Amino acid sequence: MISDAAARRVHVIQGEYKVVNDPNVVLTTILGSCVAACMRDPVIGVGGMNHFLLPGSAGALASGGDATRYGVHLMELLINGLLKQGARRDRLEAKIFGGARTIARFSNVGEQNALFARQFLTDEGIKIVGESTGGEYGRKLEYWPSTGRARQYALTGVETQKTVALEQRPVPVAKPAESSIEFF
Amino acid sequence: MSLAEKIKVLIVDDQVTSRLLLGDALQQLGFKQITAAGDGAQGMAIMTQQPHHLVISDFNMPKMDGIEFLQAVRSNPTTKKAAFIILTAQGDRALVQKAAALGANNVLAKPFTIEKMKAAIEAVFGALK
Repeated sequence: MISDAAARRVHVIQGEYKVVNDPNVVLTTILGSCVAACMRDPVIGVGGMNHFLLPGSAGALASGGDATRYGVHLMELLINGLLKQGARRDRLEAKIFGGARTIARFSNVGEQNALFARQFLTDEGIKIVGESTGGEYGRKLEYWPSTGRARQYALTGVETQKTVALEQRPVPVAKPAESSIEFF
Repeated sequence: MSLAEKIKVLIVDDQVTSRLLLGDALQQLGFKQITAAGDGAQGMAIMTQQPHHLVISDFNMPKMDGIEFLQAVRSNPTTKKAAFIILTAQGDRALVQKAAALGANNVLAKPFTIEKMKAAIEAVFGALK
């Protein structure tokens, strides 16, 4: 049994990903319309989480737009991070959270984001062992990569509105520092 | 026939989704002859059977990674003249230098835009249209 008091909390912000193999670490995040994918290799107890918000209609993988490529990139960074720590791709299991419905928005960005995550994992053959997406309220999420346990608390309406407002800010997305590597 | 239509491209990436997105981006740029492989070993098997003009390969892959694949392509007389663009998710400078030293023609950082991909290919082949 993991004692919460002893656990080291590592927060994952939008556009970021974290991979850990320490059983005493709990990964945390706060989600409005954003989605977090939690993945782990249950055999070696290494796991991680990413946190993203794709604008517009990124749900359709076939659209091949910049938003989709950004989402795939964040998924890939998490998977690569896990593999580097010794995880095996065929053993990976995932849980997805977030994607709350945003009020006063024409399109349902949260739902599109959840759809994107689900489709990506399905296409890549990664088992989805848990999911809590959609709904009207944001989530505070805790994930223990070593056991795969996840716990979420619903945010209040005011907290949800604040979180969604923060998410909609133009954030410096995790673009590689050397996105235009010029040499040769 | 445009230049893009004449170029045979081999995409090598271990992620199904990335292969789809790469293929889609190449089609948008006018490429018609596109083959895909899931890792360097599979890519090499395709290259030795039917050499392609351009290889676009991910770096981080199981079995044979992008650098090992590049070395294999450059050391085989049948495949060594192929243009090789390596994809990287981390923008790692050491990797870029290693790829350059081993004869990669260009590097494309993920997530790429269609324009960046076009520029990376045109830097090797000249204007596509």
